Amino acid sequence: MISAPGKQEQLRLVGWLRWRLFVNSLRTQRGKIDLISRIILSVGIVVVVLVVGPLLGAGSWYAISHGKSIILSTEIWFVFLIWLLLPLVITGFGAESDPASLLRFPLRYSTFVLLAFAHGIFDPVAVAALYWLLAMLAGIAVASLGALLWAIPGLAALALFNLLLNRAIFAWLSRWMAQRRTREILGALFILVMFSFQLIGPLTGRYGNHALPMVTCLAPAGQLLPPGMAASAITTGHAGRAGRASAELMGLLVYSGVLGLLLSIRLQAEYRGENLSEARRETSAGRSTVRAGWNVAGFSPTVAALFEKDLRYLIRNSTAYLNLLAPPLILIVMGLGNGGSHAKVPVFMRATSFFFPLSVVYVMLILVGLAYNNLGYDGSGLPMLLVAPIRFRDVLVAKNLLHTLVVLAEVLAVSVLGRFLVGPTPPVVVWVTLAGALFILLTNLAAGNLVSLYFPRKLNFGQMKRQQASGLAVAASMGTQVLLAGLVAGTYFLSRWAGNLAWCGVALLVLAGAAWMAYRRVLDLASGIAWKRREVLVTELTRTG
Amino acid sequence: MTDLAVETNGLCRRFGELEAVRNVNLRVEAGQFFGFLGPNGAGKSTTIKMLTGLLEPTAGSIRILGLDLVGNPVDVKCQIGVVPEGLALFDRLTGPEYLTFAGRMYGLDRVTAADRAQELLDFMGLADRAKSLIVDYSHGMKKKLAMAAAVIHGPKVLFLDEPFEGVDAIAAGTLKAMLNRMIARGATIFLTSHVLEIVERLCSHVAIIHRGDLVAQGSIDELRSGVSARRGDGQKLSLEQIFLDIVGGERAAVPELSWLE
Repeated sequence: MISAPGKQEQLRLVGWLRWRLFVNSLRTQRGKIDLISRIILSVGIVVVVLVVGPLLGAGSWYAISHGKSIILSTEIWFVFLIWLLLPLVITGFGAESDPASLLRFPLRYSTFVLLAFAHGIFDPVAVAALYWLLAMLAGIAVASLGALLWAIPGLAALALFNLLLNRAIFAWLSRWMAQRRTREILGALFILVMFSFQLIGPLTGRYGNHALPMVTCLAPAGQLLPPGMAASAITTGHAGRAGRASAELMGLLVYSGVLGLLLSIRLQAEYRGENLSEARRETSAGRSTVRAGWNVAGFSPTVAALFEKDLRYLIRNSTAYLNLLAPPLILIVMGLGNGGSHAKVPVFMRATSFFFPLSVVYVMLILVGLAYNNLGYDGSGLPMLLVAPIRFRDVLVAKNLLHTLVVLAEVLAVSVLGRFLVGPTPPVVVWVTLAGALFILLTNLAAGNLVSLYFPRKLNFGQMKRQQASGLAVAASMGTQVLLAGLVAGTYFLSRWAGNLAWCGVALLVLAGAAWMAYRRVLDLASGIAWKRREVLVTELTRTG
Repeated sequence: MTDLAVETNGLCRRFGELEAVRNVNLRVEAGQFFGFLGPNGAGKSTTIKMLTGLLEPTAGSIRILGLDLVGNPVDVKCQIGVVPEGLALFDRLTGPEYLTFAGRMYGLDRVTAADRAQELLDFMGLADRAKSLIVDYSHGMKKKLAMAAAVIHGPKVLFLDEPFEGVDAIAAGTLKAMLNRMIARGATIFLTSHVLEIVERLCSHVAIIHRGDLVAQGSIDELRSGVSARRGDGQKLSLEQIFLDIVGGERAAVPELSWLE
């Protein structure tokens, strides 16, 4: 009879597993490129984290030595919010790697709990936050060694609370993320939160003065929350009010205790083998008559069917809403930020001549990038398109048609918004802008179709994290935008020099004509390319994990 | 001369150094229920991918119903139905949406596609889940839907990669009934499966691929006679025994695991 390995051995084995998974991920070119890009990105983040540490330390020193408790409180709230929110943003409201997958082995409950905590402690954001708390502790020690008596338990209790909060959030998130419907609701919520952050600045600018008394009223309530309690325990303890400081430390521990209880309920459920199914409850109300598919005027039945499929995919993809809603919402944000008054619109946007073209450029920049991986969401369905007796150009035509309609709708939306924000745009500007937009769109569709066939990458629904196209596709997209910016700017300045802006529109229309021919040529080649590259397409787009 | 539904000559496929399929010459006559067998990694899926146009052969030719696949891919695809390895479903569509989409991809008009989709959903027992997205279907339901999509245009040749894997007995019964009906109407079915009992019950002819080589081909009775004659024991062999004999599964004694009592 064998017995389960000890806790240390189990933890060592899990550590080895993670290490091997990492090493093996470097076997592929893609894994190596991902690691290099992560290292490059991390350098900047590490520098920021390292610089913020001494700043927080200096702030704490100043707060304790000059009796400015508000500074200490602000710093603690800052660390708390970063530790709380950044992991959620980084994982895109998604569940992290699942220790429950190890439950098939004789894993002890204590090991299971330790693994859950290890995830929290070795999270880069937690490491940064702990470093900041240590820097604050150093600042407090320099200001007054006596204050350490309260700062050490205060900040330690806060760190414990944050760790438990982080674990509890992810434990509950993984429960919700296990089911598609709740996963998509959370995805939508994530988008809403992201936009809400965008609105904070403009709304503060517009309503800040009216809201200030209300916020001031609520400020004392902040002291009843863990970050406020930690700050207050340190400052009141340092001021000699040991009774109140002790009570606040106890309060922090009570918060941690409640969280610990909630977390243990979740972890025990997971440990017992709770296995949430993807499927929703079966209902008999689902029966209905099959309706005939759509017709799209001017296009073949094949393109119509593909267009219908792509539109349904778009509607059912909460992640795509982020791209679709961004342009008009950002313009609304800018409008709000300037009090909604025409006179207060920023200088570069104030002139009626500039608002519309800049808005359209913004729309194009956000949306044309999607054309460079336009098979990404087809995923495991792609082989069906390859075994069906269709020309692959029809697949691309349907996607391009949908893309064009989305761009048109967005351009229409921003033009209506512009009418309200800055007034009517001069006709010559509309003419030049639309001609330029046509040129940019056609060129990007042509380039995007080629890049999508040569560098495809699977995209997952409802997932916000790491959803970019392949590195080469991104580089191709950026290169095309730089080239287009040069061409459009050159055309614009030449026509300005010639003294007639309308000629710019004509020139851009000629360029659009050339882009149309290039687009048609790409479509003619598309079926042959897809047939030649079908193996790569299937491998990349049906990849799991 | 009989009509061949599937014919390959010198079919090869290399993946770098690995020769996954080597000089395969398949002959499947029209109207046959044909089982394509082999151990794991023998080259079954690679072969079926090449036959359906999902993978380019390194060498050799493929003719489906007399048409060269490379020269006439669209014409060939019109005649065949495929349930590939990963099922190839668009899982953010509902079952009816996917079936009407598949029908239209094969050239059916809107109304015919919708009518057949309804009939297939009823036949497969999926009509009650018409409003669910495919991503919410169970594995068996997905298999049935993929099968429905593969036959919606009435193909003359049906390629099925492991159609009964992960399917319960009830669903398997439905699928088998449909396949037998197709055979009765003159269609050709080419399937791969690990479940030899099902192949023995359904298929009239089989081919066995082993380490990339086609090592046997013919009717089950022909293979049985060949193996029986070689063994000289006159015993009526099951397909499993024939298979093991051909791929060498019985040559080496199965070793004991020292720690299992």
